[in-house]
Amino acid sequence: MIEAALQLNKPDFCLTTNFSVPGRGVTAVFGPSGCGKTTLLRAIAGLEPDTKGSLTVNAQQWLGPQGCKAVEERRVGVVFQNPSLFPHLTVEENLLYGRNRLRKARESVEIKHLIDSLELEKLLPRYPEGLSGGEKQRVALGRALLAEPKLLLMDEPLSALDQSSREKLMSLLEKFLQQIDIPVLYVTHSSEEVARLADNLVLLAAGRVLDHGPIQDVLGAVDGELSRSDTAFSVIEGQIASAQLPDLITVDCGQDIVLQLPDSTSMSDIRYQPGSEVRLRIRARDVSLCLEQPQRSSILNILPAVIAELAAEPYNGSRVVKLDIAGKQLLSKISEYSVQQLDLRVGKSVFAQVKSAALI
Amino acid sequence: MLSQPDMAALLITLRLAATTTLILLLLGTPLAWWLATTRSRARSAIEAVIALPLVLPPTVLGFYLLLAFSPDGPIGATTAALSLPSMAFSFWGLVLGSAIYSLPFVVQPLQNSFASLGRMPLEVAATLGAGPLDRFISVVLPLSKMGYLTAAVLGFAHTLGEFGVVLMIGGNIPGETQVLSIAIYDHVEALEYSQAHWLAAGLLLCSFLVLLMIYSANRRFHLMKTT
Repeated sequence: MIEAALQLNKPDFCLTTNFSVPGRGVTAVFGPSGCGKTTLLRAIAGLEPDTKGSLTVNAQQWLGPQGCKAVEERRVGVVFQNPSLFPHLTVEENLLYGRNRLRKARESVEIKHLIDSLELEKLLPRYPEGLSGGEKQRVALGRALLAEPKLLLMDEPLSALDQSSREKLMSLLEKFLQQIDIPVLYVTHSSEEVARLADNLVLLAAGRVLDHGPIQDVLGAVDGELSRSDTAFSVIEGQIASAQLPDLITVDCGQDIVLQLPDSTSMSDIRYQPGSEVRLRIRARDVSLCLEQPQRSSILNILPAVIAELAAEPYNGSRVVKLDIAGKQLLSKISEYSVQQLDLRVGKSVFAQVKSAALI
Repeated sequence: MLSQPDMAALLITLRLAATTTLILLLLGTPLAWWLATTRSRARSAIEAVIALPLVLPPTVLGFYLLLAFSPDGPIGATTAALSLPSMAFSFWGLVLGSAIYSLPFVVQPLQNSFASLGRMPLEVAATLGAGPLDRFISVVLPLSKMGYLTAAVLGFAHTLGEFGVVLMIGGNIPGETQVLSIAIYDHVEALEYSQAHWLAAGLLLCSFLVLLMIYSANRRFHLMKTT
């Protein structure tokens, strides 16, 4: 369990947070640029000396009435936006920098395992200068983890990378972050990264925590700040189906829910082999509602649904509707006019037209 | 070639420059670190004091040092109270004078080099469990190699060429406080131009080589950084 009640006043910015997240799994700290995500992460790491309040990480007090634990005593791993490898050390020396400072370090077998799973073997004798952005970030992650931290903080680790390295590192992180047994706080402003990596969500805006909790709860809160924003989205998990139609990818989400997407990616990608687990991100504004099943529509995905919840009141002329589709939740954002015209209310059966979904 | 007293002057000069440089590197490191990292308002004042020798005539500095060394001056009174020999007209007096005179040449390159590191590498090292001294030794020192080379070479070379301060506080005692620049002056006064040439041209060549060394090392360093 991580409990953070922090207060930090800077000349141009003020951070006030009070939240708790589970002591395991990946928690995304999500919000627009400039909302204080990085400052929050730095405060948790102990890099903002003026931070007041209390911070407890898995029963260890890092900040509290008894005082503040120094950064080097906290055992906190940080992967910064900019990888910041030590230029005067080789990759191997970088990796071992933190580990060499531990009183009692882990077995060397586990180091080998980590180096293998982050694909660092070949880079060991090289200096950071010649490495690509993605390679540097993998070294930075390995270096942080080899110091055996109690908490891993990642500050937009993908944002400085080009599209293809991002994609590669993201697939690696997806597998990797689920395996490690320490809590991870992952700062990002990308809803795609949230959807793919996070189990929990802390929603931040203008230095304040708007909402926090398990990802489906925060995403599904129809009156929440995230739902009101333009980026409102739902995440549905599924498997790539074995039977495929031409130019389409079919995703089987269980309970007879099948979603189809235009095949914009090459099927050679390992993630899209039949049977592989995928997550779909569906924007609330891409889901429209009909009272009767539309016929001969260009929209591929039309699913029978029941209205589970309606936002209490419209916001900027539209309202967020939470749908229950055979036990899965899906948000739809439609105009207030349509809500009145179709007389939408909780419990009503409708058909959800999913205009587009992103395989993430 | 070099006469006996000229040889002695050369050796004293080298010893003075080496001692001064060593002391300045030791004292200049914490000072430059403080200047590079502090947010204190006193910083500008301290920087100005350190830079004073760049603009003051060396005779002004020498004059005040000489006053301080006198039995009534603060330094003279202290040395007398500790029953140490007077600093005036002594080698250690010259070291003190040179250290003040060459201070900006050592502190400024170190300060620039520390400041250019930024806080990032230190923060990373801290999160990896390195304490303050450990961070300084394992991260700051190796990344400031060029700064140290520049500081050492400039401090050394600047002390080599010192004249006014030495003349004021060291006098001109051959074999004890007579340094190269003063030996050259004496030769010229005595119209011994060929001996003056040996020393002057030697100093010129030496200074050029030293500067060439820094600039080419700097260039190599930058090339290495960009590839």
